[in-house]
Amino acid sequence: MLQDLAAKALRPAARVADESEAISPRTLAELWATGVIQARADEDAPARTCVTNAIALEELAFADASFAIAAAAPLGFLSAIAAHGSAAQKKKLLPLFADDDYRSASVAIAEPDFAFDVSAIRTSAVKTRNGYRLNGVKGPVPLAEKSSHFLVIANLDDKREAFIVDRNIAGVIIERKRGIGLRALQMANVSFKDVELAGDALLGEAAGCDVQQIVDSARVALAAIMSGTSRAVMEFAIPYTKERVVHGAALAQKQVIAFRLADMRIETDAMRWMVWKAASILEKGKVATREAQLAYTYAVEQAMWIADEGVQMLGGHGYLRDNPVEMWYRDIRTLSVLEGAVGV
Amino acid sequence: MVDFELTPTDEKLLDSAHQQALIARGYADYYDKHEDELPPREFPEAAKFPDVVTLAAEVPHSSGPRILHALVMSEVEYGGMGLRRSKWGLGNTVLETVATPEQIEKWKNYTIAIAITEPGAGSDPANIRTTATFDRETGEWVLNGEKIFISQAASADAAMVFARFVAPDGSRGMTTFLVERGTPGFTVGPQLKKLGIRSHDTCNLLFENCRIPEFNHIKGDFKSTMSVFNDSRPMVAATALGVARAALDFTREKLTERGINLDYRAGSRSRSAIVDKFIRLEAAHEAAMLTVMRSKWLEQQNHPPKVEASIAKAAGGKAARRITQGCIEILGPEAVAECYPLDRCFRDGRIFDIYEGAGEIQRLIIARVILGYTNRDLR
Repeated sequence: MLQDLAAKALRPAARVADESEAISPRTLAELWATGVIQARADEDAPARTCVTNAIALEELAFADASFAIAAAAPLGFLSAIAAHGSAAQKKKLLPLFADDDYRSASVAIAEPDFAFDVSAIRTSAVKTRNGYRLNGVKGPVPLAEKSSHFLVIANLDDKREAFIVDRNIAGVIIERKRGIGLRALQMANVSFKDVELAGDALLGEAAGCDVQQIVDSARVALAAIMSGTSRAVMEFAIPYTKERVVHGAALAQKQVIAFRLADMRIETDAMRWMVWKAASILEKGKVATREAQLAYTYAVEQAMWIADEGVQMLGGHGYLRDNPVEMWYRDIRTLSVLEGAVGV
Repeated sequence: MVDFELTPTDEKLLDSAHQQALIARGYADYYDKHEDELPPREFPEAAKFPDVVTLAAEVPHSSGPRILHALVMSEVEYGGMGLRRSKWGLGNTVLETVATPEQIEKWKNYTIAIAITEPGAGSDPANIRTTATFDRETGEWVLNGEKIFISQAASADAAMVFARFVAPDGSRGMTTFLVERGTPGFTVGPQLKKLGIRSHDTCNLLFENCRIPEFNHIKGDFKSTMSVFNDSRPMVAATALGVARAALDFTREKLTERGINLDYRAGSRSRSAIVDKFIRLEAAHEAAMLTVMRSKWLEQQNHPPKVEASIAKAAGGKAARRITQGCIEILGPEAVAECYPLDRCFRDGRIFDIYEGAGEIQRLIIARVILGYTNRDLR
């Protein structure tokens, strides 16, 4: 079903979304109708479905990476609430995502600074009489304007914690940032200036939460999306190089091209199995930090190589904006620096 | 459900394999320096341990014998060599695949090497020049030619030899003959001087008017005989990754001694170049190992892998090169000295992308499949 949707509806809508820098309501409705996101909001459904979600994200990203993130962002938010939220937080937030209309929310980990690292976050929260005061800047955050909530990772007494922040609360400022790729996602920086949060904004409340698990889940989701987009590049390059005749023979009949295509197949396979392995560990509720790191590191390395070779094989055509590899090249570069934001 | 975990019995068996590998490592270093000596069938310490390679195929409550076998072979190669020498050669697989019941009965307890490669025919066996001519008067076949880089050459009881034949009716083609050790006209050359895998028995074979009885003609067609490599490719990748893992473990130990710890939580921008490089090499190992698991898992589900076997071999061979070279780069000057096992891993690790189908041959196979090309379309 997902493959069908990807081929018939999502892929054809991808370029328009990129050019207009917006995902149409119709596409958002189609993504929502897959049920992948709401399944996470249903407390009675099987709690952990990380592998299935990773497979779904690969298929969505095969159609378009921006669309995959539009699903993975609320998925990441919901997964974190479901895994770490208190009973009251789950009861309050999960039903909001059980409706029939697309709703976005994002985990906000990354900060717009080249020195940023998930292990060295600058956004901070301090305890106040009634709750917490939050200060800092997060970004890029996908679909920020459309989001009802952000899950903001910030330091509280030198420990990383996650705060549930309503988008409409005073002191939350959204500023669009146009980027190289994933343009349909309307990326933005979200600033928090003396944002006053209630006591129940801390994810997990008194228990706090395991932020590393949220980071691990995000890495796996991004790796899944990168495998999907990489596969898109490969499957696009195969028919083109078979058709294109150079010096009397199809490009694909030349080993220098054929071998690179073979390497694309090797690497997309490897990326997928690494994602599945890390996701299967997350699904069991175990620590997948190492596996998630390896899957993410490998995907970043290989996906950029594949997109780069894809453009090269298409030659001048691959440089034109009416050709999808032009967009995938930009999208993959953006994906590979977008640590955080999503989840399985 | 997708599950990558091993059962407790598998873990136990792999643990034993690892203990054996740590002992075997000492022998591997010895034979690395004494390449003309043939290791014994079994080292004394073997008596204290189960025969994990055989057990892998039989252990109950396993995640699967094919997967386990690959993991065990990876552990054996982690040590550089086994405490027990395998009695099985690829020639045995050919015998079992294509020979008659009478032939299998006669040679089932032999160790049989496979002899395909020649000075002008390695990756392209169609170039084989060794000839077999039928002598009508005696009813024998007469073999003439040279085979090179033959594994188990000195220790095997017989060799399965690929040759071009000219039959009495004038028909021609490619076929195989079992040639027993000591057959007049069959000479095994001295051990070859190699970059690495020096404990491996590797020689050239010479056939000079070597007369073979008709019974020794193993009439497998070329295609089904070559199919033995479908099973062996992911296994070669598994062994390649055993060597790579030995290099990684050694490097990790050295880094830890210096207080450089690997933090998998942090992102790439907060780690040093050394840690970043190490994590990338570790990821390359994980990536290749999972392609091996994929191929072995398919075998286990009775879906014989085709392109997946070549993917595993290509990935394993490439990863072994990258990882063993990279570990030396990380450790620097200390590592280029004879600093076992890294020096040996570096040299041993270079073979896997060459033998049993070079990386280029695997890519040729993969490319033909994904492009829907025949071997005429893409060669």
